[in-house]
Amino acid sequence: MKPLNKLTQGRGKKLLAAAVVLVALIILPLCIESDYVKHLLIMVCLGATLAMTFSMLFSTGLITLGAAAFYAVGAYASTLLVMNAGLSFWLALPLTLLAAAVLALGFGAIFVRNAGVAFVIITLIFAQVVVLAAGQLDFLGGWGGIIGIPRPDSIGPIQFTSKLSFYYLALAVLLLTALVFQALYSSRIGRAWRAIKLSPNLAGTLGINPYRYRVLAFVIASIVAALAGSVYAHYSQNITPDAFGGWLSIYIQLYAVLGGLEFYILGPVIGSLVMIFVPEYLRIMKEWEPIITGVLLLVIILFFPGGILGTVKDPPGLSLKKFHSLYNRLKTGKKLDKSS
Amino acid sequence: MPLLLVKNVTKVFGALIALRDVSFEVNRLEILGLIGPNGAGKSTLFNLISGFHRPDKGKILFKDTEITGLRVDRIAGMGIGRIFQEPTLFMQETVFENVFSGLHRHYREPAWKAFLHTRAANREEAVSREKAAEILEFMDLAAMRDELAANLPHGHQRSLAIAIALACEPELLLLDEPVTGMNPSETAVMSDKIRQIRERGITVLIVEHDMRAVMSLCDRIVVLNLGEKLVEGTPDRIKSDQRVIEAYLGKQVI
Repeated sequence: MKPLNKLTQGRGKKLLAAAVVLVALIILPLCIESDYVKHLLIMVCLGATLAMTFSMLFSTGLITLGAAAFYAVGAYASTLLVMNAGLSFWLALPLTLLAAAVLALGFGAIFVRNAGVAFVIITLIFAQVVVLAAGQLDFLGGWGGIIGIPRPDSIGPIQFTSKLSFYYLALAVLLLTALVFQALYSSRIGRAWRAIKLSPNLAGTLGINPYRYRVLAFVIASIVAALAGSVYAHYSQNITPDAFGGWLSIYIQLYAVLGGLEFYILGPVIGSLVMIFVPEYLRIMKEWEPIITGVLLLVIILFFPGGILGTVKDPPGLSLKKFHSLYNRLKTGKKLDKSS
Repeated sequence: MPLLLVKNVTKVFGALIALRDVSFEVNRLEILGLIGPNGAGKSTLFNLISGFHRPDKGKILFKDTEITGLRVDRIAGMGIGRIFQEPTLFMQETVFENVFSGLHRHYREPAWKAFLHTRAANREEAVSREKAAEILEFMDLAAMRDELAANLPHGHQRSLAIAIALACEPELLLLDEPVTGMNPSETAVMSDKIRQIRERGITVLIVEHDMRAVMSLCDRIVVLNLGEKLVEGTPDRIKSDQRVIEAYLGKQVI
């Protein structure tokens, strides 16, 4: 009985911690007056959600440079369904996700055949093609984009007019994604993904079909990206092809890398939080901001490859033991053996 | 009926004929050795059986079902496990997680239930945890269940590779050089393990360079040379076969 007790206690503690964080996330923005900060928080929620989709593909050993592609698909599909077909946002949303799923299944089935560098390049090109298509096709608004996208219809007393209401909507998207992804990672599906990432050959000999599991990850990631894109379109009320360009995909990837690639859920959250808020406070010299941000990122990726969370968990600093071995080496003049 | 039937298999890589018209059988619950000088085609044969390569000619039948050219995971799903020559493990995971991942084929509850963590799915997962622990115990790895696979000594990595393969509950296990490079006492322990694996009801096909180990372990031996089957028979017959001695001596002279 004792181990069982421990488990429930551990779980109770985790639930309590989750409840505290949840309450904080709900109450915190009430204390913030600036609409701009609220806007940034909304972008953190959407950015973290997108970075989680990057991490999901990464958890199967695939690196995508086209994480923004299905974000765009979601934004445009939802916009067209609401503005041209006259549907309510809440009806357009499931249709958008369905469309994204079908598209992702079709394209994913082709893309995922080529793992490794080929997949990186294919997704990069795909994302660019999506942007070009949006720019060139008249019914998608062309390069000028689409303006005047309506806000989501109110549900009973809840109206989506203020920044605060959109923050809660974006937060709901983020938390739902985190919950679903955690359930996947902690199940045998997540274990199969990890197995494929660590050794596709070994995974195969264990009866895991790497191709099928990667397509599954691609479809789930794309549906979630489309969900975020749909919320984004109706939040910003205007979309342009440029908003979904290559830079966005690179930023999404950086959120995940900065937070810590091995932390599939918390990494994207921390990464996007830092990368969206810190540059705001580096605004002393506005024109230098991109350069400073860039240099900071280079330093972090070169010297702290585990990202923020990886570095916190396993600090690289000089431990006493390391110092001793260094000291002994200097004193005796012996070569450092491989193990130390 | 043999468990595995390899029938007139030919495999060509470019200008190199890796295997030419090779046929043999693996009977249920035997330990069959596959030997031959370097370049004889042993590893190629393993890759054909486990689905990593497709034979150019010939057939492979497992339990009377043709498996020629099936996908790796399908063949694994039918009950053929293999370990690779180089220790192929999930290096960045713990010993326990390695074996736990190997149990993928066990789950009967549908994936969506696993995703929702239903009671039945959780129960199934608990059972497979116990199973993983039992396999670790069997392979004498229980003491290092929380070590990272990458940090294990070489011999234990090989045991772990076998443990992962056992997690699949194969009917036929392909072992690629399980004792090569081991000292005599380690070899004895591993040989004993392989016999115990057979006692678990698993047929073993083994590629090995250590002649002493092969001779003492195997019920029958198939000798390959330059991609062709030279001879097959009991260890005693193989030991005294003039062609086998020539094949090995020839290699040494060159």
